[in-house]
Amino acid sequence: MKPQEPIPHNYSIRRLNMIFALSSLVLLAVTGLMVGYDYIRGWKWFQLEFMRMQQERISQEIGVAQAEENKQQLADLDAQDRKNEIELARHRDQYLSAQKELDAIEGDHYRADQDYRFVKANLDAQRYITEAAVVQHLPDAPQQQAEFERQTKHLADLQLTLQESTRKRDAAKANVDQWLKKIKDAEDKKKELTASVDLLNKQLGTVDMKPFSTNWILSQPLLDFVNPVIKIDQVVLNDLSIDMNYMSVPRVDRCQTCHRAIDTPGWESKTEAARLSKELQQKLDAYQIPQEKRKETEERIAQLKRIQDAPNDILNPWRTHPKLDLYVGSASVHPLLEYGCTVCHRGQDRATEFGRAGHTPASPRMEHRWAERTALSAGFFPLPRDFEQRHWGYEENEFIETPMYPRHYYEAGCIKCHSGQMGVDRGDDITKAEQTIEIYGCYACHKIANWRFTDLRKPGPDLGGIAEKTTPEWAFRWISEPHNFRATTRMPSFFYQRNMIDPNVVPPQERAHNVKLQDAEIHAIVSFLFDKSTHRPWSPPGAGDAARGKQLVGSVGCMGCHIDTEQVKDEKTGQIRLAKREDFPLERNYGFNLTGVGTKANPAWIYNWVKNPKAYYADAPMPSLRLTDQEAADVTAYLVTMQKPAFMNTPIRPPDAQAVHDLAKGYLINTLSDVEAEAKLRSMTQHDQLVYLGQRSIEKYGCYSCHNIKGFEGLKPIGTELTVEGSKALHLFDFGFMNDEQWKNEDGTTEHVIHTVPSWVYNKLRNPRIYDDRRTKVYNDKLKMPNFHLSPEEARRIAMVVVGLTKEKVAENRMAGRDARTRLIEEGRKRVSQHNCRACHVVDGRGRDSIASTIADANFLPPDLSPEGARAQSPFLFNFLKDPTVMKIRPWVSVRMPTFHFSDEEANTLVTFFAEAGKGQQFETSRGMNPPAQNVAIGKQVFTMMRCTQCHGTTPVNPENPPVPNTADSTSLAPNLTLARMRLRHEWISDWIRRPNEMINGTRMPTNFPRDAATGGFQSPLAMAIDTPPFAQYKATLLPLFNGDEKELKRTMGDAVALTDYLRDYIWSIGITQMRTAAPGETVPAIAMPQPSLPPPTAPALKSTRNQRGAAGNSGGPGR
Amino acid sequence: MKKFVSLLFATTLVFSIACGKGKEASKEDQGEDDETQTATVATNTASTAPAAAAPAAAVSADAATLTGMVKFEGAAPKMASIQMSADPYCQSQHGSAPAMEEDAVVGSAGELANVFVYIKDIKGNFPAPTTPVTIEQKGCQYHPHVNAVMVGQPLDIKNDDNTLHNIHALPAVNSQFNEGQPVQGMVSTKKLDKAEMTPFKIKCDVHGWMKSYMAVMPHPFYAVSQTNGTFTIPNLPPGSYTVVAWHEKYGQQEQKVTVGAKESKALSFTFKG
Repeated sequence: MKPQEPIPHNYSIRRLNMIFALSSLVLLAVTGLMVGYDYIRGWKWFQLEFMRMQQERISQEIGVAQAEENKQQLADLDAQDRKNEIELARHRDQYLSAQKELDAIEGDHYRADQDYRFVKANLDAQRYITEAAVVQHLPDAPQQQAEFERQTKHLADLQLTLQESTRKRDAAKANVDQWLKKIKDAEDKKKELTASVDLLNKQLGTVDMKPFSTNWILSQPLLDFVNPVIKIDQVVLNDLSIDMNYMSVPRVDRCQTCHRAIDTPGWESKTEAARLSKELQQKLDAYQIPQEKRKETEERIAQLKRIQDAPNDILNPWRTHPKLDLYVGSASVHPLLEYGCTVCHRGQDRATEFGRAGHTPASPRMEHRWAERTALSAGFFPLPRDFEQRHWGYEENEFIETPMYPRHYYEAGCIKCHSGQMGVDRGDDITKAEQTIEIYGCYACHKIANWRFTDLRKPGPDLGGIAEKTTPEWAFRWISEPHNFRATTRMPSFFYQRNMIDPNVVPPQERAHNVKLQDAEIHAIVSFLFDKSTHRPWSPPGAGDAARGKQLVGSVGCMGCHIDTEQVKDEKTGQIRLAKREDFPLERNYGFNLTGVGTKANPAWIYNWVKNPKAYYADAPMPSLRLTDQEAADVTAYLVTMQKPAFMNTPIRPPDAQAVHDLAKGYLINTLSDVEAEAKLRSMTQHDQLVYLGQRSIEKYGCYSCHNIKGFEGLKPIGTELTVEGSKALHLFDFGFMNDEQWKNEDGTTEHVIHTVPSWVYNKLRNPRIYDDRRTKVYNDKLKMPNFHLSPEEARRIAMVVVGLTKEKVAENRMAGRDARTRLIEEGRKRVSQHNCRACHVVDGRGRDSIASTIADANFLPPDLSPEGARAQSPFLFNFLKDPTVMKIRPWVSVRMPTFHFSDEEANTLVTFFAEAGKGQQFETSRGMNPPAQNVAIGKQVFTMMRCTQCHGTTPVNPENPPVPNTADSTSLAPNLTLARMRLRHEWISDWIRRPNEMINGTRMPTNFPRDAATGGFQSPLAMAIDTPPFAQYKATLLPLFNGDEKELKRTMGDAVALTDYLRDYIWSIGITQMRTAAPGETVPAIAMPQPSLPPPTAPALKSTRNQRGAAGNSGGPGR
Repeated sequence: MKKFVSLLFATTLVFSIACGKGKEASKEDQGEDDETQTATVATNTASTAPAAAAPAAAVSADAATLTGMVKFEGAAPKMASIQMSADPYCQSQHGSAPAMEEDAVVGSAGELANVFVYIKDIKGNFPAPTTPVTIEQKGCQYHPHVNAVMVGQPLDIKNDDNTLHNIHALPAVNSQFNEGQPVQGMVSTKKLDKAEMTPFKIKCDVHGWMKSYMAVMPHPFYAVSQTNGTFTIPNLPPGSYTVVAWHEKYGQQEQKVTVGAKESKALSFTFKG
């Protein structure tokens, strides 16, 4: 046979087969690698490790649950079981016969039940027939009626039979149960004992990864897509979307994939556990936890204690969120399922790898540690050593648009939703940070659209009258370096900074030239300001006594906003050193430091300023303390003694003509030719040149942003807009030569710039000129941001706000504080912040540190306003804010409530704020109520028995100037109670008497009705005392008031709520009802009781039979 | 190991108390205000220590005793009299001789009373006695002036006066309280649950002159110096300790001391004005 002709091919089949074989092998290998790579992804390892940890913990818990005593109990129960069964076996006959009997009776019962039901159905039918027959007057109506009655009777009989049958059945059942019950009880008990272990065993099953367990099989490669045990965990947030420029996509947070226990309590670090257990214990002790939750809390504390005692600390990423009550926790205000993680923390929501998720190191040390890696951790999975050492193989990723906030800046994430609020509840850091921005006036140079305030004033004083206040020599030295005059000033340093004269970063020949140019600019600015200043004559003060002045400054309240020293004792070293702003509460930096004010300002100006700051410029933030002429003269005499002669000895170099010329020409040639500019300059005197250059320099440095300067109105602020600074991409920040570089700051500290936005901002704030280091720039192009000499902490806070200002928008319904009530409160809070009320008062639980730092005894401090809304009547508060002289509540307090000259709107805003924040009604009408005479009489006795008179006056006084209570030593006691009716809310009085220390911690008002430690209820000291001989006379007086009912009297004496209500009624009855007659032309109306008076309140505790209106009904208090 | 040490210690306690009883009795004759305090502490320890040592009733004779003397160097400050006219009742309680401030009670030979002496650094679990420590308000003054309770030990505050007192405690670690006592003979019982070894102030806001100091101790090794300047800390397990002497006006001092088994060691503290 002829061999088959081979089919001609243009290619070699052999080779082709080879290629196919090879490529299929390669494909197979690649698929295998793919599956393999997917199988060992890093996050899977974290889940496995967490399962192991859970397994360990559950096994431990099982161990505890199966502890000896439980085992013993179980054994006992088993023994009981056996005994029961034996007994049952022994009485088997009886049991069986009982069962038989029950079965028989069950049958009878069923029959009886059926009969009853059928007859009942028939009866219903018969009812219709009968009714129809009666209505239609059918002839058989009487028969039908008779039939109906017969059936009714029959049914009644059957019902009786059924009831009897039921009773019999129940009895038989009980007979049977008697045998079974014992067995069943023992089983129930056993179940109860083993329930927790069963549950734990079930849980153990879910985390069991032993080879060939269900979980293990489900997790094998290629099987794991069916129903994986280890899988990506994610939260989809549709309304907190991510803006991808052209569309917004839902946020999908996968953080939980690795942070397994983030929302599960019990996996805290040891430090957190210690902090949390301490906090919870304190809350428990202070009765801040409701009764029904106390047990739960105690269990939680025990759990936290166990964590503290455990041998190993729990590491990240397996830790619980440290603030579970606030974030992530299902009962918190930001539950995980609604808010996710990246809304606050930022980072790449969908990423599941350490680097891609956008983790950002907080410090160079952290960065370098994170960057380390072992061969396996490089791309596959971490080894135990890696997470213990935090070696994550971290690499900076410039392409992540929203890297996470580093640890020190966490609260930056609050701004997104809380931007309109004056304080974030429990966000102390961000609250303080935003306050810092406002007190330094960052907003003046850097526009921040959507900042919570729209009406912020310029942070610096008006410079329109500078010549009235000080001299050009002082001004020159001040502008040159404000910190040489006052270490704590908020005026920043513009001149002779690092990028101009620092020998390490500027070449020597350039330095000398820069100094000349800077000199010229300062001279020019001073010349311009004094040239344009007004020259109003201020009347000089009379003779003043500096010693009295000093005493006044220390006592009337100046120290709330001002500081009078530059020397402080260092807490660490104990050495006296120069003060920093941070040594004082933030509110005390509101006004300037008084040291050197005598060198700075002339006496006539000081005198008029302290008397009426608004006369110098209308926008002045300082309120009036109502100083008399003499007091103002005394204060002036004292302030003038605060001199800094050394400052005025620093030499002033005269302006260099060439430098002035060059600088001025530099500006002129923007619009003129070189020749014209030269000609123009030749036509000007040196002074004119200086004034011209001054104007341009003020523009260059943006002085007008912070100060009102005539001629610069309406100019745009000088600095970069910060509205979305936190979203600016990393490559848009000019690091100069400062990437991963250390640098030394002027205060001797060493800082380190790392390549992250927060680090750039922080270092910029620490020294704004460092990014010019070693760069070659034209004089006018050099960085101009002035140096505020911020401490690390201050810089961190401000940087936190800056990185928190992002373009990420959240839906309106997610913004905090947008409901009407909260908006009203926020308006008030703005005023509180604007007028620095927290210098002297506690508002919303914060403040008063300023004034408290100079007055030790809390009794001489201005009041804590936390309960003000619930405490003060709105009309009183309104009038008091408008004119604080209407009432002196504690005449021994020397600090004066200043007159702020509030407009009606402002005063109303504040009143509304307090009322809303204190959950009080805006309008209180109780002032006109007259309590029943009987209540008053009882209250008076209680008042005497409780010895209230020992501290409180009860005789009417002049509200504007009540006498100081008579005491032997310097302390004074308590407010006169006749003022209460005009000032206090009716309901508040009794509440206050019951729990003063809970409302104002540390108050001198003693707790007279202490809480019972076990129940939390109030105890009354009179409960027992009323029967003792010393109280016999009171008892005799009181008995008739209780209609002789001694039992009722005793009960009332033990009832703290009733007693305090009687006390309130008594206090109400002695109150004055008229504040003061309105002087003609006075803006503040007098406050009086509303007319006509309203019906009296119902008596609080007495039964209605004794609830009579007082005969003295409307005669009012003795103050009339 | 730890268990063993505490066991040993507990047995030491029991034994030393048994031995020390005679000594306590003889001291009671001195009849000082502060003495009652010391005695209370001693008996308290006696009553509760056996419970603590229940598993091992063996007796060890190792306990040491720390005694000492507190002196004031320099001219003794004169005790100021208290102006009590604000409350006639208070004034009436002191007849012709006005009450004296107790902020510096110095004897004729410079003995300094009301100095609180305690061991700073002893570790272990010391159960609190259940017998209360009492502060009395009598004649508008606190008795005793300086005092201590153990953590969890009840503190009874009694008002013996027919006037209003409020007991306003200003602790730094424990939670502060301020209770009114309008009824004569009234007793308020408090428990302080955290150790606060530096005494805190207790004041009465009604009577500005009334002051007292109170420490909350985690262990029973403390004493208050009496008017003769002496103090005794009995039943101390042998070891090296830092002893602190605290005075409300003259600050605090520390001394290191090592006591051996059954040793009785005397310390001396000197305060300067």
